[in-house]
Amino acid sequence: MTQPTGRTVRQRLFGANTLWIGLVLLALIAVFGAIRPDAVLTTFTLQTTLVETSVLLVLSVGMTFVIITAGIDLSVGSVLVFSGVTSMITMNALNGGDATTAGWGTVLVGLVTALVSGAAWGLLNGFLVARAGIPPLIVTLGSFGAALGAGQLLSNGSNVSGVPDVLSDNLGTGTWFGVPNLVVLAAVVTAIGALVLSTTAFGRHTYAIGSNEEAARLVGIGVTRHLVKVYLLAGTLAGLAGFMALAYFRVASVTGHDTDNLNAIAGVVLGGTSLFGGAGSIVGTVLGVFIPAVLRKGFVIIGVNVYWQPIAVAIVLVAAVWFDQSRRRARNRR
Amino acid sequence: MSTRTVALLGAALLLTACGGGGQIGDTGGSGDSKKVVLIPGVAAEPFYISMECGFREAATALGYQVDVQAPAKFDSTLQTPIVTGVLANKPGAVLIAPTDDKAMAGPVKQLKDAGIKVVEVDTKLEDTSIAVSTVSSDNEQGGRLAAQTLATLAQDKSGSVLVLNTKAGTSTTDTRARGFEDEVKKFPNLKYIGQQYTDNEPDQAASKVTATLAANPDLIGVFATNLNTGEGAATGLRNAGKTGAVNLIGFDASPKQVEDLRGGVVQALIAQDPAAIGRIGVEQAVAALEGRTVKRDIGTTLLALTKADMDANEKYFYKQEC
Repeated sequence: MTQPTGRTVRQRLFGANTLWIGLVLLALIAVFGAIRPDAVLTTFTLQTTLVETSVLLVLSVGMTFVIITAGIDLSVGSVLVFSGVTSMITMNALNGGDATTAGWGTVLVGLVTALVSGAAWGLLNGFLVARAGIPPLIVTLGSFGAALGAGQLLSNGSNVSGVPDVLSDNLGTGTWFGVPNLVVLAAVVTAIGALVLSTTAFGRHTYAIGSNEEAARLVGIGVTRHLVKVYLLAGTLAGLAGFMALAYFRVASVTGHDTDNLNAIAGVVLGGTSLFGGAGSIVGTVLGVFIPAVLRKGFVIIGVNVYWQPIAVAIVLVAAVWFDQSRRRARNRR
Repeated sequence: MSTRTVALLGAALLLTACGGGGQIGDTGGSGDSKKVVLIPGVAAEPFYISMECGFREAATALGYQVDVQAPAKFDSTLQTPIVTGVLANKPGAVLIAPTDDKAMAGPVKQLKDAGIKVVEVDTKLEDTSIAVSTVSSDNEQGGRLAAQTLATLAQDKSGSVLVLNTKAGTSTTDTRARGFEDEVKKFPNLKYIGQQYTDNEPDQAASKVTATLAANPDLIGVFATNLNTGEGAATGLRNAGKTGAVNLIGFDASPKQVEDLRGGVVQALIAQDPAAIGRIGVEQAVAALEGRTVKRDIGTTLLALTKADMDANEKYFYKQEC
């Protein structure tokens, strides 16, 4: 459906899909802002909302690529946990069991460990999906359980502490001209992801496979190889997200990431990426990830009843996708 | 229904029937009545390890043999085979923390039917006719204690107070929150602004703390009802630059939490007494075995740890090993 070639950057960024979902986001901010301007429209709320969404955003960038190929990756939250645990255990092992006072060298080793751990799971997913031909839903449901189990096995089922202070103080809570460093990192990853998807051959092949895998094969795209790379990318980004979560929470948590995968999928789909593949954008994903985040935050600030909050979030999510779908159907009929 | 489904169902039925208690009773009870087994909710968790320490010590002192069998996850499908395995050895008594108040009723009832005395520790079954005794923390008292501790920490300053809860319908954390809610009303300087659910996800806890701070800049205290909410709340306060300025009260005292208390990330911890739960559980089991009177429900007290008095109360820190 989407043909990124031959369109200007402007058209790509402000394609009708993302524009619409962007308006929903603005409307939400406007409504919350009108009710509590003193609490919503502040630097503090902006900063904290951005920081709290950074980790999920990095997961969702990888998820966007996977979903555009008409695949799915349920394992990202578990891979995040696994990578955090291996990274933390490695850093602790290098420093006699407690890396709290360790230096940048240790942090670098930790980062590489997290990325490699994530990449390993991504590679495994990719091989099973592309080479063995097992449906991605089943493959990643398997790695969802296995990665979490492996993480718990390594950590003996409890959270691993000892995050180096230099890591948590700089990446976790540090700012750069007022912008939290975690947000800067997430923004850089997102920007690279957006450029790769919309301007490179890698991105075009991703769309092509999602639109019609057989056609992509016939025009000479190495589909198997490309799919492996896409899952590898999602896994590596989940590894990076695990490292970011370490810096942010100051502990490698083995529980509490059970629904990260669903949150990432919801953000991606809300951003206009089709679950059937072939259509979608990173810009849409950014907007889609922020809608639930803004809703949750706004509801707490304006004091919506706690039992209503999940219902209200669910209604807005489903309604947004429904309007988007009907608008697209109307356009296609024209 | 395909033949395979039928075959699977048949096999499942057969298995259930085998586990239904017939064969064990028939063996004539050649078990070891001088043995007590503990089945915690999950392996390698400091809370249950500390319970195991109290259990081992008390049972050995009373002249009983001990064994501990823990599932790898807090999950009834993993705990059930352990229960049936223990049943085959037929010990005198079993202390168990049921991982599901309904799903574990069947397997635990098999223990009872085989003549094994069952004592529930920490958690309990919905069916109260199975166990001879239930020993667990008085979570409501823990919640009240959290409110009192917060009042002490806040001194006479006034401000808003938030409760961060896990999932709606989780009985232990809901009871803690209720105890807190009842008690906090007694302190006019503490303005209770209600509780927020976090789905037991640290990132949601962090986001709800910062949102609450935006709406209520006078926030003076947060009561986090378990480990994950406490971790998330600490992260949220750190990002807001409010660590220490807002009194954070956590629940449980695992090593990382104790470290955070020492480091000033958390201002107080409400510690359970898992070692006492294990010890009293054994005492009740032995009383039942020896035909003495057994108390049906026992609530163990909780203790507030603050930075000032933590070193004097070191024995309440949860252990990684005995």
